[in-house]
Amino acid sequence: MAATLDLPSLNEATERDPFNNNCYGTLVDQPYRFVSLPVLNVTDFNERIVRGYEDGTAEGELPADISVARSLVPAGTASLRDFSYIAPEIPEYIPSNCTGCMDCVTECPDTAILGKVLSESEWDAKLQAVPEADRAMYREQWSKTKKYYDAAKKKTGEGGLFQIIIDPSKCKGCAECVTVCDDHALKMVPKNDDVMLKVRKSHRYFKNIGPSNPKFVNDNLLIDMMLKEQTHLYTGGAGSCAGCGEGTALRMMCAATGSKYGDQWGIVAATGCNTVYTSTYPYNPYLVPWTNSLFENAPTYAVGVRMRWDQMGWSDRPLWVLGGDGAMFDIGFQALSRMFASGLPLKVFVLDTQVYSNTGGQASTSTYTGQNTKMSVHGKALGGKQERRKEIAQIAMMHPRTFVAQTTCAHINHFYKSVLGALEFDGPAIVVCYTTCQPEHGVGDNMAGEQARLAVDTRAFPLLVYDPRAGETVKQRLSLQGNPNVKGDWYVNPKTNEEVTFIDFARSEGRFAKHFDADGNPSETLLAAKQDRLENWRLLQELAGLR
Amino acid sequence: MSSPLATHDFTDLPAALEFLKRTRWELRSLRFARLWRDRLQVFDVNGDCFEVRGAGYPHSDIAALLRAVNAAFDPTTIHQPPVGEYREVGLGRRHAWAEDRVM
Repeated sequence: MAATLDLPSLNEATERDPFNNNCYGTLVDQPYRFVSLPVLNVTDFNERIVRGYEDGTAEGELPADISVARSLVPAGTASLRDFSYIAPEIPEYIPSNCTGCMDCVTECPDTAILGKVLSESEWDAKLQAVPEADRAMYREQWSKTKKYYDAAKKKTGEGGLFQIIIDPSKCKGCAECVTVCDDHALKMVPKNDDVMLKVRKSHRYFKNIGPSNPKFVNDNLLIDMMLKEQTHLYTGGAGSCAGCGEGTALRMMCAATGSKYGDQWGIVAATGCNTVYTSTYPYNPYLVPWTNSLFENAPTYAVGVRMRWDQMGWSDRPLWVLGGDGAMFDIGFQALSRMFASGLPLKVFVLDTQVYSNTGGQASTSTYTGQNTKMSVHGKALGGKQERRKEIAQIAMMHPRTFVAQTTCAHINHFYKSVLGALEFDGPAIVVCYTTCQPEHGVGDNMAGEQARLAVDTRAFPLLVYDPRAGETVKQRLSLQGNPNVKGDWYVNPKTNEEVTFIDFARSEGRFAKHFDADGNPSETLLAAKQDRLENWRLLQELAGLR
Repeated sequence: MSSPLATHDFTDLPAALEFLKRTRWELRSLRFARLWRDRLQVFDVNGDCFEVRGAGYPHSDIAALLRAVNAAFDPTTIHQPPVGEYREVGLGRRHAWAEDRVM
C-alpha cells in the first residue's frame, strides 16, 4: 500500500478548497470514518485515491495496486467530492420569508441544503468567532421564525434563530428546494465569483458554529429530524442526476433509520441506478455499511448477511435491502418472495421509478399501461406498454405476516411513519416508494415532489400501510389514510371542481406525450390505463373496507 | 409573486407567440401558467412571470399560447371558468430521454 502523500489532508482547507466545503460531516466537521479492516487503509484511500479522482490524475497515474483492485470504498468518501462546477445556478436563501418548515432540507436529493437552530444567546456569542469583515453578512442569514423563535420564546423565554445554508460543493442546481418552498424563501441565482465566495464562506461558518441546540429540536416532529447530525447518513456527492427522486428517498430512509439506530445498521443493494450513483468509484455517500451483489439476488444476499450478523450478536442492527422496480418487481422477485416467507426481520426499500432507469429506460412490470419505454415503444404498431402494472404492495400483503407500505417523499410524515413502522415491525417489511426518474419520465429537474404528489392525487400510486399487527382482518390492517377523497373514485380539485384522474397525470409527463392527439385527446390505451388505475384503487378501497 | 417582468398586449396570435418565444428564455425553469379571465401569466421556478394581456381562459387562442410553453392542460375544459379567479396548469413536462429510440 502506498504511503499517504505529504500534502494537506483533503478533509482540511486547501488551496483548491480554501473554505473546506467538501469535507466530512454534514452539519459540523467530522473526521474520516475509520474501520479496523486489514485490507482497507482509510487515510491512504482518501488522501491518495480520492485525491487522484478529484484532481483528475487517477486514471493515468494511480497504480493498479491491491487497494484499488479490491474495490472497497470507505464510508462517506462522496463528502470529499466537489460538484460546485456542474450547475450554472444555485439557490439563495431569503431569511425574512422562511417559516422553518424544513421541506427544502428534507426534499434535497443531494444533502446540499441544511438547517440549524441556535438559542439567541449562544448565536450571539458564536457569531463573534466569525471574522468581523463577514459577520454582518453571515448574521443576516438567520431568521426569526414563528416555529423556532416566537413559539420557543413564549414557552421558555428564549427564542431560537434558524438558518438555511447551501453546501456549494454538493448542490447540483435542480431547484427542487425552491419548488417545494411555499414561502418564497429560496430563489435560484446565477453563480458568479461574488455569489460563490459568499456561499462558500457561509457554509464554512455554518459548520464552524456547532450543532443545533437540542432544546429547539422537537423529537415528536418528524420533519425536524434532519437538524441532527446522526440522521445525515447519506452525504452529498453521489453521482445521481440533478433532482433525482431516488436520492431524496434514500436520504430520507437513512435519516429515519439513523434517528433510531445511529449508524448501527446496514444496506444490501440490488444493482440498478441506486448502486451506480452511490458507488461510482471512489465515491460513496453512505456512512453505514453497504454492499452490492447482483440485480436478482439482493434479498437472498441479505438473508445471509442477516444470519451472520445474528451470529455475531448484532440482532439489534437493522438491515435494509434496496432495489428498484426492475430488481424487486422483476428480476429479483422470486428472491424477494422467498425472503418474505423466511419471516426474517429484513426490511426492503423499493425505489419505484416504473422503468429500468439505469440501463436506458426499458419497461418493467411496474411500468404503467401506455408508458413509452425502450421495450414498449409508442408508434404506429404499438401504443406503448400494453400490459397492466403489477402491484408489488398487494402481492407482498399476501405473504405471511409482512409489513407493507407504499409512500412518496412528498408525503413526508407518511414516508417517515412508513419507514419507522417497517423498522419497528418484528418481521419482514417492504416500503415501496414512488420516485421520479427525470430523464425517463420527461419532467423537469425540480419536479420530483410535485409529480409524486400528483401520482397520489390521480390514483397512479396510492398511499397505503398494511400492518399485520393492526387487527385480525385485512380491513383492519390496511390503511389508505393520506390519499385524497379516500372514499371516492377520483379526487376533485377544489380550485376547478374537476376530477383529477390518471389522464391528468399522464398529460403532465413526457413519457405519455405521444398518447395525446393534436387536440389533446387521450388515446384508447391511455383510457385503458385510467381504467386500470381506477380498478386498482377500488380494489384497495374494498380491501380497506371502504367500498 | 412579483409583478410581471415583461408584458404583451394581445393583438394577434403570431405576435403573442413571438413574445413568448422571445421572452421565455429570460425566465428560469418554467413551473406553471396562471389563466385569468383577461390575461395569461407564465411563471418560472423563482415566481418571476411574463404576462400576455387580453388573452385569458375564454380566449380562442389560449390553447395555442399554452402549447407554446409546453403546458399540460385539457383542451376540452380549458375555457371553462374556474371556481376562483384563475386556473393553473403545470409547465414541468419535458421530453423523455431518447424517446424515439427503438431497441
